[in-house]
Amino acid sequence: MQLFTKILRTGVVTEPLPDRSSSAVTLAREIDRRAQTLFGRALAIRQVDAGSCNGCELEIAGLPGPVYDMERFGLHFVASPRHADMLLVTGPVTRNMAVPLRKTYDATPDPKLVVAVGDCARTCGVFAGSYAVVGPVDRIVPVDAYIDGCPPEPADILQGILAALGRLDAGRRG
Amino acid sequence: MIGTALASAMAAFAAGAVFALAWPSGAGARRLSLASAFAGCVAALVLGVDMLDSGISWTWQSQAVLQPLGGVSLRVDPLGAFFVAIVALTGAPASLYALGYLRELDGRLRGRAVHALFNVFLAGMCLVPLADNAATFLFAWEVMALSSYLLVVSDPEQEGAAAAGLWYAVMTHAGFLALLAAFVMLAQNGPLEFPAMRAAAGTLTPAAQSTSVLLTLAAFGSKAGLVPLHVWLPRAHPAAPSHVSALMSGAMVKLGVYGTIRVLFDLMPPLSPWWGGAVLALGVVTALTGVLYSVAETHIKRVLAYSTVENIGLIFVGLGFALLMRAYDSGVLAAMGLVVALLHTLNHAVFKSLLFLAAGAVVHGARASSLEALGGLIKRMPHTAALCLIGVLALAAVPPLNGFTSEWLTFQLLLAGARYTAPSLAIMLPLALAAVALVAGLAAVSAVRFFGIAFLALPRTDGARDAHEAPLTMRAAMAMPALACVVLGLVPTLAVTQLTAVVSDLGLPMGQLDTGLALSLPLIGSRLWPIAIAALMAAAAIAAVLGTRAARGRQVRIDAAWNCGRIAQSPRSEYTAAAFAEPLKRVFTGFYRPTHEVTVEVHPVSPYFVRAITLRADLAPWMEQAIYAPVVRAAQRLSAQASRLHTGSIHLYLALLPAALLVLLLLGRWIR
Repeated sequence: MQLFTKILRTGVVTEPLPDRSSSAVTLAREIDRRAQTLFGRALAIRQVDAGSCNGCELEIAGLPGPVYDMERFGLHFVASPRHADMLLVTGPVTRNMAVPLRKTYDATPDPKLVVAVGDCARTCGVFAGSYAVVGPVDRIVPVDAYIDGCPPEPADILQGILAALGRLDAGRRG
Repeated sequence: MIGTALASAMAAFAAGAVFALAWPSGAGARRLSLASAFAGCVAALVLGVDMLDSGISWTWQSQAVLQPLGGVSLRVDPLGAFFVAIVALTGAPASLYALGYLRELDGRLRGRAVHALFNVFLAGMCLVPLADNAATFLFAWEVMALSSYLLVVSDPEQEGAAAAGLWYAVMTHAGFLALLAAFVMLAQNGPLEFPAMRAAAGTLTPAAQSTSVLLTLAAFGSKAGLVPLHVWLPRAHPAAPSHVSALMSGAMVKLGVYGTIRVLFDLMPPLSPWWGGAVLALGVVTALTGVLYSVAETHIKRVLAYSTVENIGLIFVGLGFALLMRAYDSGVLAAMGLVVALLHTLNHAVFKSLLFLAAGAVVHGARASSLEALGGLIKRMPHTAALCLIGVLALAAVPPLNGFTSEWLTFQLLLAGARYTAPSLAIMLPLALAAVALVAGLAAVSAVRFFGIAFLALPRTDGARDAHEAPLTMRAAMAMPALACVVLGLVPTLAVTQLTAVVSDLGLPMGQLDTGLALSLPLIGSRLWPIAIAALMAAAAIAAVLGTRAARGRQVRIDAAWNCGRIAQSPRSEYTAAAFAEPLKRVFTGFYRPTHEVTVEVHPVSPYFVRAITLRADLAPWMEQAIYAPVVRAAQRLSAQASRLHTGSIHLYLALLPAALLVLLLLGRWIR
């Protein structure tokens, strides 16, 4: 009972999204619509940290958080590539993560999409040339969409996911 | 007919023992003696089935041997015949199994001794349920105990066999003493014949009655493995050869159940309800203890031995229920309790002997006996794995196998019992029901762990990697109880109708039973139709297969199992038997009292560079420490005192001899 009175007294404390991010909602709705037509269900995403500084992870963690709450639009983060439609790869690919990344890609059922998140995933960023780094993500697995930014904002990430879905769409038609 | 069958069984066992010792070639001795054992078991089975069918009892007496104690007196009644049939049902596959299992011992004297003792063991077990006076009973009981003791210690290379044998010998002889005292109390100065005891039991004083019930429970409980007298089971079973473990667990332990039924239901009048409650509680405690240890143990035969303890507990739950109902004059419910206990006795005898034989095949094939050293055997020993799976499913009480029927009936009984009798039972029986439900669930966990860790995933050691399938005789031997598991599961009425005859012979008529395929017991109001369950399960399986076939229109890619992207798939990352039991060890910490000892070896430069981590995890054997350690200490103190007499002086010894004689003569005069 105490719990309910507390809920009533506290009311809604989450902030409304700023103007710019209201597009995030439309973006997410669009992603859900596409995923429904493409896969017949919600989009399942497996996130792979291939050696990131965790900046991108912070932004990705914003997606299912209370502000964006993307699960309501059918964007799910799953615990195994076996359940995934899409891999969200961050960071430059380090030597230790090259084989696991490849194995993750192999373990994902077809049709699958790979989205490289952040500048490092595309160019290795400040880590370029390090002895510990093998190279950008597309050196290891084929990438369908890149998301620029260091780190990219959640809305950008949504944009990238949508772009990747569009690619699959085009592939279907072609 | 019964006389001929018994005579031929005994002749076959005797011939088997002689062949084993006297045949010139080792291989011939093995074949002939085990064939004789098999033939003897078949004859004993004929005896049991014939008796149960015809219902005519058969007696035979002779004063030629054991004359001073009352001679040999045999009587075949339905209860005895049923237990002879159990001995035969487990003995026949065990004999066939030993043909392939003990081939390596052909050239050695030990092999001959094992075969001869095996025959003697079988003969002793066949005679126990037929004995009709104390002398015959105790003689057969001792033959069985001694031969099984020798079989337990028969392998000198087995680590701990001697200690296991010592535990077993002490427990079984303590039981023997209690049994002797119980018989003497029951006879009350009369002759030590069972009919005389039956007649005199009604006139026992309450104190004498209670003492004799306690002595009986102690005597037969030590054989059956009732907690806290179960300690020999998990020691002796791993030490014995596997076909002997199968026989010990399938048949010998059951003769403890036989003795309890014989004394408490046949020889004695209805007891006070307290005794029923006590036996029921003892059964519940035994079942819980057994199943909890069976989940935590890693030696495969010890897992099975503890599971035997658990099942004995379930059987005693049925017996306790029957005693209770008999005290409350509900004859039909008492009869049902006894039928369910006997049905579970039969079912457990069948599937546990199968599992011990399979465990033997695993140890034989993979040269390892710890679950942690096995794995992946389903690829290397497919037939053994399939047969073992049947036993494991029966152990886990999965329908439509036989373990399910008797466990389901136990639940039904406990539910029904409270409805018809005293209100105090309306509290006690549901509590027992909850405990039995916990036991059934944990037994399933133990079964999954047993099969999953031993047979699935990757082999954990070289022995498991190079494991080979068991020889044909061993597989054929395992197929026999596996078939029995399925048949008894599908058509339980086959056994239940015979058991009603057994029970009504004990003075507990049960009323009319359906003899069709469905099982419905009076007063319970529910029906069990295992064939329908089997058909439903088969239909569901077929539908699932067809469904996946239909969905396979799309392309299928077969790939390696997902291991979180690890570079090499190694058995070291597999789920271990200890890890499987770990959550339960935490939940039941108070019971298990686990001990953990972690040693971390670090580099001298910095404690952050770890070289090796060693974990020693064990369970404190608190039951042994609490109950047996004081007894052992007292025995040691006594023997230390007694050894003072051994001065080495021959004069003292010579003086002691006539003194002892004098004391004995005086005692004899006084007793008369």
